Amino acid sequence: MKQKLDFESQKKKVSKSSQELSEHFTSDFTLNLELVRKKIGHNSDVNFREFHIGGTGVCAAVIFVDGLSDKELIDKHIMKSLMESFSEKGVISNEFIKNQILSISELTEVHDLNNLVSKVLTGSTALLVDGVPNVIILGTTKGKSRNIEEPVSEVLVRGPRLGFTETLSDNTALLRQHGDNRDLSIINFQVGLRTKKELVIAYIKDIADPDLVEEVKDRIKKINIDDVPESGYVEQLIEDNYLSPFTQVQSTERPDRVFSALMEGRVAILLDGTPFALIVPVTFSMLLHSPEDYYERWLPTSLLRLLRYFAAFISLFGPSFYISFVSFHQGLIPTKLALSIMGTREGVPFPAIIEALIMEVAIEIFREAGLRSPKPIGPTIGIVGGLVIGEAAVQAGIVSPFMVIVMALTAISSFAIPQYSAGITLRMLRFVAMFFAAMYGLYGVVLFFLFVCSHLVKLKSFGVPYISPIVPFRVSDWKKFMVRIPLMMKKRRPR
Amino acid sequence: MINSSKDRITSSQAVVILVNYILAAGILTLPRLSVEKVKTPDVWISVFLGGLIAMIGGVIIVKLSQQFPGKTFYQYCQEIVGKWVGGFLSLVIVCYFFTISAYEVRTMAEVTGFFLLEGTPTWGIILPFLWVGFYLIIGGINPIARMFEIIFPITIIIFLLVTFMSLGIFEIDNLRPVLGLGILPMLKGIKTATLAFLGPEIMLLLVAFLKQPDKAVKVVLIGISIPLIFYVLTVVMVIGALSVDGVVTRTWPTLDLMRSFEITGLIFERFESLLLVIWIMQIFSTFTITYYAAALGLAQLFKKNIKPFIYGLIPIIYIIAMFPKNINDLFKLGGTIGNVAIFLFGVLPLILLSISRLKGEKHETKSS
Repeated sequence: MKQKLDFESQKKKVSKSSQELSEHFTSDFTLNLELVRKKIGHNSDVNFREFHIGGTGVCAAVIFVDGLSDKELIDKHIMKSLMESFSEKGVISNEFIKNQILSISELTEVHDLNNLVSKVLTGSTALLVDGVPNVIILGTTKGKSRNIEEPVSEVLVRGPRLGFTETLSDNTALLRQHGDNRDLSIINFQVGLRTKKELVIAYIKDIADPDLVEEVKDRIKKINIDDVPESGYVEQLIEDNYLSPFTQVQSTERPDRVFSALMEGRVAILLDGTPFALIVPVTFSMLLHSPEDYYERWLPTSLLRLLRYFAAFISLFGPSFYISFVSFHQGLIPTKLALSIMGTREGVPFPAIIEALIMEVAIEIFREAGLRSPKPIGPTIGIVGGLVIGEAAVQAGIVSPFMVIVMALTAISSFAIPQYSAGITLRMLRFVAMFFAAMYGLYGVVLFFLFVCSHLVKLKSFGVPYISPIVPFRVSDWKKFMVRIPLMMKKRRPR
Repeated sequence: MINSSKDRITSSQAVVILVNYILAAGILTLPRLSVEKVKTPDVWISVFLGGLIAMIGGVIIVKLSQQFPGKTFYQYCQEIVGKWVGGFLSLVIVCYFFTISAYEVRTMAEVTGFFLLEGTPTWGIILPFLWVGFYLIIGGINPIARMFEIIFPITIIIFLLVTFMSLGIFEIDNLRPVLGLGILPMLKGIKTATLAFLGPEIMLLLVAFLKQPDKAVKVVLIGISIPLIFYVLTVVMVIGALSVDGVVTRTWPTLDLMRSFEITGLIFERFESLLLVIWIMQIFSTFTITYYAAALGLAQLFKKNIKPFIYGLIPIIYIIAMFPKNINDLFKLGGTIGNVAIFLFGVLPLILLSISRLKGEKHETKSS
């Protein structure tokens, strides 16, 4: 919000200054250099190196950013070749330098200061030559990046160990590397008004719906923000319904996941500076599927998938069932079980909802604490939180042991959901479900179910109904949703 | 407004809507109501015939609607019988729809209050239900159809599960003799049975939304066959387990059937809660579709946006739902609705169909 306001107030300034800056270069070398110096010369990390072109005495200068550009490349292939004496003392023309001297593959020419600055600041090297109005931009970018590692947030037992990195070109390369696919389109955008950032959308040309691609492009063009630090910003700015608790854009670190989504006709959005790629449109089932489902044989993965749905169900409704059975419908559970639950609740002074709230809030706190704390402390929190407090709470008579079981079960179930964001959604909704259950018992749970479904059937992700594999009712897609059918039976693409 | 391509539904969605609309209060009360009339175990034949009659009525309604492609009853009714009569008929049907929707809500509240939430005031049960329904239908016909598609498989699975579990106390002797007292008592039950199949009237509107309107007859036939199976199965199981005499004395015989057996060793020992869950969902679907039909009717009658009518109908439905003082009043209301429905959807479509055919012929002879 604040950023938006800032942006509003500075909009005018930006447009004014950009007018001033769109100055074209002339053939006057010193003037050109002065122009650049005035704009970015005050930065300590911008290097200006003036020299004479080999044997001719023609002035030239290279401008690059320390650390962003590959110095070795500049030394060997730009400076060295330019400063060597040329055998034929011909005219130092633009073409001559371009075609015969510089041995660098990525080369463009710019005419105005604005373009030069943006190129230099992203790691390219600018070459100014006296008497030439064009500035040559040489691709010498060597950004700081880490090695390609296994993604931390999505762990597979079987599957590629590759994960995206913070470098966009690495990420697009990972997609290309997947195999020769001529229809894979990667289209470039820039987002951010003050800090320009590269963003690409990727799709398979003849599988993805052209309307969908257009829609994605439109929404990305509409992004109106100063800086985009992470793809989460893009996600929030392009999603359909910002009030919905459900994520409408999937984020992933895994290239194989992105690629399989592309093959289903979805569109991927990759942003420079983050390993998290976005996939749109999202359908509900995607949140509960894992790419591994297709790497293992169909029978175990089908069962695991069903298990995951069951886990999601428990994670959402576990405590609310406990509340409604304990405080409303003791008659519906077997008598012996009801008696033993009642027995353990003997000393508990609170109604079931308070009891459940205490434990569920506590586990959320443990989880959050474990997540944010330094790695070595994490297990300690688990032991202190889960074991000590849980045990002590029961002995102190604050909660019943049965409640602790329910709480533990729901917590573990929510970890079984492969998507972190989907897990969060279910965790939030669980509390709503608990209040419904506390008000109306089983009827409340049914109401809540109807309410969530009513929301889901209305929700759309980029024009695609959120729950589309479930409904509209297509038997073939349904099979895929519930179980993972054997690969040789998968011949048709999902529509 | 409603005829945009986005608001189309497929034939299978229409079937699901129809099934969900028909299956409602009937599952719980049909065995008692029909046995009261028939007094022999031949009720299932009556139910079967009732379903056939409903199919005929449904086909007539579809034929009528197919005369005016892309238009709902509210729109074409005025073309057939003129502006004023047509407007009046539409209003009556709108009233019918929101009354039945209120009736369903109240029935739900009564059953829920009795079996699940003793002591909770009726308004407390009704209000959240109304709001959830309101939230759904504000999205239009497509979300409604999709919602029903979620409810439908859950209903089928749980219903079949629960029904087959009660096989343990099923006694075939309770269903004998077949036609022991002749055909006459069986015929008495047909009217009651037919009323359980109230629902094909939604085709007055749905045909306009169909992607393939020419398949509407098929939709009706399938859409009524599925509830037919449900109802016959229910009646057979209930009478088979509780016997004719047992059914008459119980207000909600189907639920009593579920309560009368226990399967030990499972997490649940009793299954009426499961049946109630799907039944609440079924009531929800009947409630929403009739609510939407009423709001749509008003919107098309006054040629305005549908939203204000959706808002405006909530208090009306609430007041009507709270109107019956007790459960007997409620059943009387149900009876009245049934009688009105027989005229509105049994007789009226036939008249309108013949008028429009006659007009059409005249028109043709003139033009030729």
